[in-house]
Amino acid sequence: MADRQCILCGACMAVCPLLRATGREELSPRAKSDLNRLLAEGAADLSGDAVARLAGLCLGCHRCKAVCPQGVDVPEVVAQLRAAHPDFRRWLWKTWLTHAGTLWPAGSAAAKAVPEGLAPEKFGPSLRMLAGLSGGPGLTPLLEPVKFPDSCRGERMLLFAGCTATYVRKRWADTARRLLDGLGVEVLAADFGCCGSGLSAVGLSAEAGVLAERNLAAWRAAGRPRVAVFCASCLEGLRAYRPDDSAEAEAWRKALTPLSIVLHDIEFVVSPHATSAIGYHHPCHAPEPDPDLALLRRALGDRMVAATGKECCGFGGVMRLGAPELSATVNAGCWAALQGAELVLTGCSACATQLAATAPAGVTAGHWLELIA
Amino acid sequence: MNQYAPSLTEAHRRFLTDLFPGEGCLLSAEGRAAFSADSSRCRAMPWAVVRPERREQVVELLRWAEAEHMPLYPRARGTCQVGNAVPALGGVVVSLLRLDRILDVDPDDFVAVVEPGVVTADLQAVCAKKKLFYPPDPASVKMSTVIGNASTCAGGLRAVKYGVTRDWVLGLEAVLPGGRVLRAGGRMHKDVVGLDLTRLFIGACGKLGLITEMTVKLIPLPEASASVLAGFADLSSCMEGARAVFRAGLLPAACEFMDANVLEAVRRIDDVPLPEATRAALLFKVDGTAEGVRAETERLCAALRPLSPVGVTVGTGAEEEAVWTVRRRISPATFQIKPNKVAEDIAVPRSRVGEAVERAHLIGEEHGLPVLCYGHLGDGNLHVSIMHDVSVPGEAEAAERAKNAVFRLAIELGGTISGEHGTGLTKAAFVPEQLGAASIALMDAIKANFDPSGIMNPGKAW
Ligand SMILES: Cc1cc2nc3c(=O)[nH]c(=O)nc-3n(C[C@H](O)[C@H](O)[C@H](O)COP(=O)(O)OP(=O)(O)OC[C@H]3O[C@@H](n4cnc5c(N)ncnc54)[C@H](O)[C@@H]3O)c2cc1C
Ligand code: SF4
Ligand code: SF4
Repeated sequence: MADRQCILCGACMAVCPLLRATGREELSPRAKSDLNRLLAEGAADLSGDAVARLAGLCLGCHRCKAVCPQGVDVPEVVAQLRAAHPDFRRWLWKTWLTHAGTLWPAGSAAAKAVPEGLAPEKFGPSLRMLAGLSGGPGLTPLLEPVKFPDSCRGERMLLFAGCTATYVRKRWADTARRLLDGLGVEVLAADFGCCGSGLSAVGLSAEAGVLAERNLAAWRAAGRPRVAVFCASCLEGLRAYRPDDSAEAEAWRKALTPLSIVLHDIEFVVSPHATSAIGYHHPCHAPEPDPDLALLRRALGDRMVAATGKECCGFGGVMRLGAPELSATVNAGCWAALQGAELVLTGCSACATQLAATAPAGVTAGHWLELIA
Repeated sequence: MNQYAPSLTEAHRRFLTDLFPGEGCLLSAEGRAAFSADSSRCRAMPWAVVRPERREQVVELLRWAEAEHMPLYPRARGTCQVGNAVPALGGVVVSLLRLDRILDVDPDDFVAVVEPGVVTADLQAVCAKKKLFYPPDPASVKMSTVIGNASTCAGGLRAVKYGVTRDWVLGLEAVLPGGRVLRAGGRMHKDVVGLDLTRLFIGACGKLGLITEMTVKLIPLPEASASVLAGFADLSSCMEGARAVFRAGLLPAACEFMDANVLEAVRRIDDVPLPEATRAALLFKVDGTAEGVRAETERLCAALRPLSPVGVTVGTGAEEEAVWTVRRRISPATFQIKPNKVAEDIAVPRSRVGEAVERAHLIGEEHGLPVLCYGHLGDGNLHVSIMHDVSVPGEAEAAERAKNAVFRLAIELGGTISGEHGTGLTKAAFVPEQLGAASIALMDAIKANFDPSGIMNPGKAW
């Protein structure tokens, strides 16, 4: 939680994709933190549920937190408001995430698992999106690794695959393992579960804490090696763990490594059939500078013709389920920035899902791992 | 005294929701709350918020507001630091963020045309792609709007060379109470026909009418820049250093000053690339062609040499940004000294900046509070931060007294109580002291021609 108060400086308004896409200042991070304060101070005629509903319109992208001079964590404020004023959207999301194992393997089961009464018409697109998340073929591979450097040879490492790759896009994890193998990395077996970030975002911190403990235990059991992660949202979720022991906390943070950094020096050849109009979507949760983009620039050169910077894909976790029209507005802005690209790559499971489900005609989208043969 | 509508009636609500359907009109308490304050942290709840998407809606709104004597508060990003965007007397906030198109960026006429919601940095980015430059650069450039900047006449780091927002506005379209549409100026870089009505809107903070479109001047984008950070052993050689640079015939794009207290605060959170002995520092930026920048940087360093700076760091290319880190870290660093801050932005004639800094420090000592001075030395605009701790009995009051003393100091030195941020709610009491009754009466009379019922942004000082 913020150690200092919001000073209404507005720095966060420069980066909020929701404000940018909608022009609605009441959805800005500043408005959310201010509203939370007014509510806490007992401002007359504010209803807690109404405040939670309005403030809950948040993509959870964390861009605001990164620029706040006061260290205010607006998504955390939102999570706490959601926790204090629960409604059914929270329930819905919990159902999805905690039962990912059973819901996601057969994508359409996810949609079926939501009782009729909880799936009114406006959830349709969201449900379709998740329902469409089957193991399908994904993108056609266009990059072939031809030379592996020796930089990590012999290193023992863990691979954190995350829910999407574990249950739906198994190909991502398979490709990652193959590349690590090519580098001579020994990938250790680990009993990792969901990163838990989706649960924290909706105020279910206790449930998220259980998942964090499980994942930390798996890492300890493997001897605290580096953990390669290929989903920006999982990486941010994992980075948010706070083991009690400060030395261990430091070691955990150091251990978490974007997979693209490990792969960076592999040499790839591009298939002659590859389109020369490739776009990259920078996930809100990706580190700055973005190591995935660096890897792809190196591999694809001039073929990279468009990249997002400020735009969010609009996935927005629970918000997409509750306010699909806002999510769609944000998504449209993202595609506008990617204009000209026939193939769009990204490095986050949520973004990949969202972009694949919303790509305009003639455009395909997916995780960059799908591109590697 | 103007008579305003005392509240929103049912008929008013109906009118507003008809004109601004759906999300276009906010009446709920939680929806309105976001529009109750600006960066000044002053607060008053509006009765309603509307969000026009077309100029015709604005015209209709101002016709209605005039008839109903309904106070209106134009609002862009609400980053004003003195309360000008706060709906002080109740009424309707007009949020302009949905009118956010860049209508034109013309490399032949060297003009851009924008709507009220366009963020200044976004315009600059679009211009830069065409190798064009819109120079005004308030520190809030990424989060405030071009027209908000014009309405407050925002300044910035580059003002010493490029002037303030006022110097870049060529024309505008505004809707006046009653729904009249005024078009003033245009795409001409020169125009001497008639009184300059465009200028009247600059710094008027929405008190004359609601600007719906603005045409600004552009210039070619400078191809290169470099920055120089120089530390001095005392305040007077620092001031002399700035003078020497201008005397050498150089006009830097920025000339920033930092006193010893500021440097000490920044050192607490970051490295400062200057020796410990530094008691005051200057930060320059030069821009232009690559050859010109190289030559100017050399001459600038040469001009400083006779003053024996204790340290000089030149930043070019990728390293230039690093030189500015110290300047950018000032705002968060000040809170290392004490948790609360009264920040004022006086301006004095350039020759008197040194004296102003010394006397501001004395004011701090007299009130038992640390005072930090930094700012745009090149245009005499000094940020004076009076640090205090509201949880310590008496400090908040002492800070208030110190602030008043700083304002008096500015006026005594022939300066102004605000170089950039304006007066709004927070400095209203001091305006008569600076302007005098005759000027204020004239300003009121001018306003009455635009806004006879005083509905535009009422409750604020000139
Ligand atoms: C961190 C920070 C740094 C800052 N740095 C600087 C700086 O370096 N220099 C500086 O000068 N200021 C600075 N400011 C102050 C502020 O950013 C400026 O005053 C800015 O110009 C306000 O723009 P805005 O778009 O937020 O407008 P708002 O705050 O929304 O509005 C400002 C005023 O303009 C009026 N207005 C807005 N749009 C219209 C319109 N279309 N028609 C008529 N009236 C209108 C409003 O009624 C109000 O009176 C800073 C503020 C912050 C928070
Ligand atoms: S949340 Fe942080 S960045 Fe946003 S207005 Fe408040 S203090 Fe400023
Ligand atoms: S998390 Fe993202 S969407 Fe939510 S308020 Fe912050 S910047 Fe906006």
